Amino acid sequence: MKIMRKLFLVALVLLVALQMGFAKGSSESASESKPQTITLWSGYPEMEPFYKQAAEKFKETHPNVTIEIVSHPLREFEQKLSATIPSNTVADIIEVSVYANQKFIEAGLIPEDEGEVLDFVKADGRFSDFAIANDSYNGKIYGVPLFQGRTALYYNTDMFAEAGITEPPTTFEEMYEDAKKLAKYDSAGNLTRSGHSLRLSGQGSGVAEKFWFVLYPMGGTFIEEGKTAGTYHAAYNNDAGRKALTYYIDAVYKDHWDDQKIKHDAESFELGQTAMFFRESWVIGDIASKAPNLNYATAPVPKDARWGRITNIENLYVTKASKNPDLAWEFVLSLLSEENQRWMFENVGWLPCRNDIDISDIIERHPQFAAFTYTDPDYDEYGYLPIAAFDEVITKLAERLVTAFLDSSLEGNDAAIAKTISDAANETNEILKRYNLYGE
Amino acid sequence: MKKNNNTIAVPLKRYISQTEKKKRIFVYCSIIPVIAIFAFVRIIPICTNFVYSLFESTVVNPTQKFVGLKNFIELFHDQLFLLSLRNTTIFALFVTIFSVAIAILLAALLTTQSKLSPLYETIYFLPVITPMVPVAVVWKWIYDPTYGLLNYILSWFGISPIGWLVYPNTALIAIIIMSVWKIVGYNMIIFLVGMRDIPETYIEAARIDGASSNQVFWKVIMPLLRPILLFVFVISTINSFNVFTQVFIMTSGAQGAPGNAVRTIVFDIYENGFRYFRTGYAAAEAVVLFVIILLLTFIQFGISGKGDSSKKKRAIFRKGAVK
Amino acid sequence: MKEYSSIWVKILKHAFLLLGCVVMVLPFVWMLSTSLKIPSEVLSWPPQLIPKTFTLQNYVTVFQTAPFVKFFFNSVTMSVVSTVCILVTSTIAGYVFGKFNFPGKNFLFVLTLATSMVPLEVYMIPLYMQMVKLSWVNTFMGLVAPYLIMSYGIFFMRQNIMSSIPDELLDAARIDGAGEFSIFFRVVYPMLSGPSGALAIFAFQQTWAAFIWPLIVTSTRDLWTMELGLGMFQYRFTVDLGPINAGSMLSVFPVLIVFLFLRKKIVRGITLTGLKN
Repeated sequence: MKIMRKLFLVALVLLVALQMGFAKGSSESASESKPQTITLWSGYPEMEPFYKQAAEKFKETHPNVTIEIVSHPLREFEQKLSATIPSNTVADIIEVSVYANQKFIEAGLIPEDEGEVLDFVKADGRFSDFAIANDSYNGKIYGVPLFQGRTALYYNTDMFAEAGITEPPTTFEEMYEDAKKLAKYDSAGNLTRSGHSLRLSGQGSGVAEKFWFVLYPMGGTFIEEGKTAGTYHAAYNNDAGRKALTYYIDAVYKDHWDDQKIKHDAESFELGQTAMFFRESWVIGDIASKAPNLNYATAPVPKDARWGRITNIENLYVTKASKNPDLAWEFVLSLLSEENQRWMFENVGWLPCRNDIDISDIIERHPQFAAFTYTDPDYDEYGYLPIAAFDEVITKLAERLVTAFLDSSLEGNDAAIAKTISDAANETNEILKRYNLYGE
Repeated sequence: MKKNNNTIAVPLKRYISQTEKKKRIFVYCSIIPVIAIFAFVRIIPICTNFVYSLFESTVVNPTQKFVGLKNFIELFHDQLFLLSLRNTTIFALFVTIFSVAIAILLAALLTTQSKLSPLYETIYFLPVITPMVPVAVVWKWIYDPTYGLLNYILSWFGISPIGWLVYPNTALIAIIIMSVWKIVGYNMIIFLVGMRDIPETYIEAARIDGASSNQVFWKVIMPLLRPILLFVFVISTINSFNVFTQVFIMTSGAQGAPGNAVRTIVFDIYENGFRYFRTGYAAAEAVVLFVIILLLTFIQFGISGKGDSSKKKRAIFRKGAVK
Repeated sequence: MKEYSSIWVKILKHAFLLLGCVVMVLPFVWMLSTSLKIPSEVLSWPPQLIPKTFTLQNYVTVFQTAPFVKFFFNSVTMSVVSTVCILVTSTIAGYVFGKFNFPGKNFLFVLTLATSMVPLEVYMIPLYMQMVKLSWVNTFMGLVAPYLIMSYGIFFMRQNIMSSIPDELLDAARIDGAGEFSIFFRVVYPMLSGPSGALAIFAFQQTWAAFIWPLIVTSTRDLWTMELGLGMFQYRFTVDLGPINAGSMLSVFPVLIVFLFLRKKIVRGITLTGLKN
């Protein structure tokens, strides 16, 4: 009977499902002699080859340990952490930035560095003060810096030669003038090549982060510490903030060397639709695969009132949920070995955080990396403040900036620009007040 | 099945109570397991989340501090929320109307086909099953101001290039068009099923009575489709108020649409809940969204009437009186 | 005159349908084309629909990067179990809600409808906590839990049942002495082949495309579905277009096949033999 056949099919499927239901994903065991598994979650799928080769090396000295690497697309990764960290169902090791992890650190859900790990992190000359400060909270240090994203200027050498520019710009004024010369238009006056690709649109905090590339050298920043330690307030409601916004507005509406209507960012650079842009070192690998014939070079970020570039540090943490924390930390420290760090730099393109390893030969082989490792006593490093409110502050600022960049009426209108900046700063302060972090 | 034309042997009262009893047993046996699963995977987590709306949350504890209706009051002063509400309402209105209207048209056109119909049905269903990533990339290209397909076609009519995803007012329209495109095949299938459920005999009966194609469509098919129509309207409304993925993906990256122009409620909930970790506040927002959708659904049910058209079928059948 | 206008109508009809087809199919064609392109061509602008150099490397990459065969198997199992469960629960509940009266019926129906109004993003964290309590994290049951039932399914079946199954038919069967379960299996269920087919494809597609829930509930890769696997080609700042489109093609085919298989069912419709009584 047809019904019987169908019922049988249904029962079969359910039986299979039940059997699978009792099959779990690989689990960890507590005893030393049995095979053990350490799980590592990453938010950077391109790092997977790095972890895999490190895991294989680790297995040579630890034959009964399996390292399971799971990499996730980043924004979903943050949602996953939100579910798994508070419920203690998270992996042994997580690779995440302070920016994403800060709220968990502040809630006491991440264990602090101790013993051998703490010694490793604090060793002389190993990590910069900036990195240590980035990973600190309330006098304790959390996690170990794995790699960093530093910004530099990418520029198209063919286009520069064609425009008669021999050197990359060293100041923002020079960059503005260069961009004017490098921009190209069609017969109808539409921009076909931007002189420099600014970040004018998009969701999230990206627009604000890229705005910082200009804001910081001009002398401002998003938030700074107030008179009382542990309090903060908006730090861009000043000449620097207004100058930075004016820079963007003039670029789009006065001299028109950038425009929302054309392509931006790495894609645009690879297609030859822009002459310059600011980005981290991962673009080098991207260009090598997607636009291998592109003639380009890199240079440090230009100066203005001061000089600096963003550094974003990505850390490894061992979580409270780990049943083998000692083993997990061992693997973490192995990932920080000179050998592994060099592999990461050469094959993935992210810059190691360690200052005490030798990567000069790699830089010789790939000269574009030089701009990212360039140091100078005046060349500051700045980055995300390790406070939970930071994300909301810059995300809301980004949304205001996108709207401002679409407003042609701001051009030449100092009063309107000043108002835009002060409104944004007020919102920043309101957010800080909500987090009980506000202080002049 | 036995087709028995004998008169009822059992006394009427006892017959009724027997059948009622059988009915009752059947109902309870079948509905209880379903409701049980429901309670577990939907009702309990949803209610839990709604309870959170009365609290101010921290990372560790969603129910850190009871604050009653404070979240709701803050919500109605929140510019971002109000913006999301406006965007979502406009989005839902247009997507629902267009996707339903076009779907009915398509279904009507396809019921009269027989040979090419399978091909058309499959092709129109493709957008529904195509994953969001390729969809987003292609549509970002279609909307590109300089090289995009849409501006290219518009240029044939002498219209100058429009920055679809660049400016706030056009960005919303752009995403509405894309969303209608993605969902119209889904609605179309539902209407096809509904239309094909109407037996040929009814349509024949009406034609024999002298009805034109138009009249057949509006006076026979549409009334019988009412429950289906209600269904499609309701789920379209629900789905478009809950829109998230396409907005997220079209605004991401360096070429993304201006975030606030297309900010929707669920996106706002996501940001408040997962970015800023204000679980209680996000839950309050979810409650408000839920109430809005619930109200709209009730209104649609009210407009539609009871929705039981099998009676209508009987009436039409009797009226048509197959000769 | 009549013939003349009807030819024009036919042409117009076909033109409209064809235009629609082109628009519908465009992303699919682009997806196929990109899956066969080499990296430097992927980025060409304006986009070329036909690759200058064909390559199958992207497909190879997909299989090399991760155990996509296992992911495929997981997706299939999860979707089939979910579809079967949804069909069974929706049909029974739709029938009960549509053709019976009992205390609390309207309330329960509104409740099921209401729960469909809340998107998964809103309640997935509390649901996850329930999974933790049951130790269903990183298990198949945890993976498939929210997909065992579909409120729309119940609503859909109810509407279809109310629209196409006359009360008289059921009463006639009852008068004939048939039990309720018998009526359901032998009268109602066979009449629902069209809606069942449609519901099956909807349920299958929804579960197949699930992303955020499988991502949250799995801790290791052996329970990953194809959609999760595809996400791995979405890097931090770029999307690896070649492999992700190759993977998308592989992911779309099963759903397409299920659709083609069920399409006949959806189209066949029903014959009202019962009414001839």
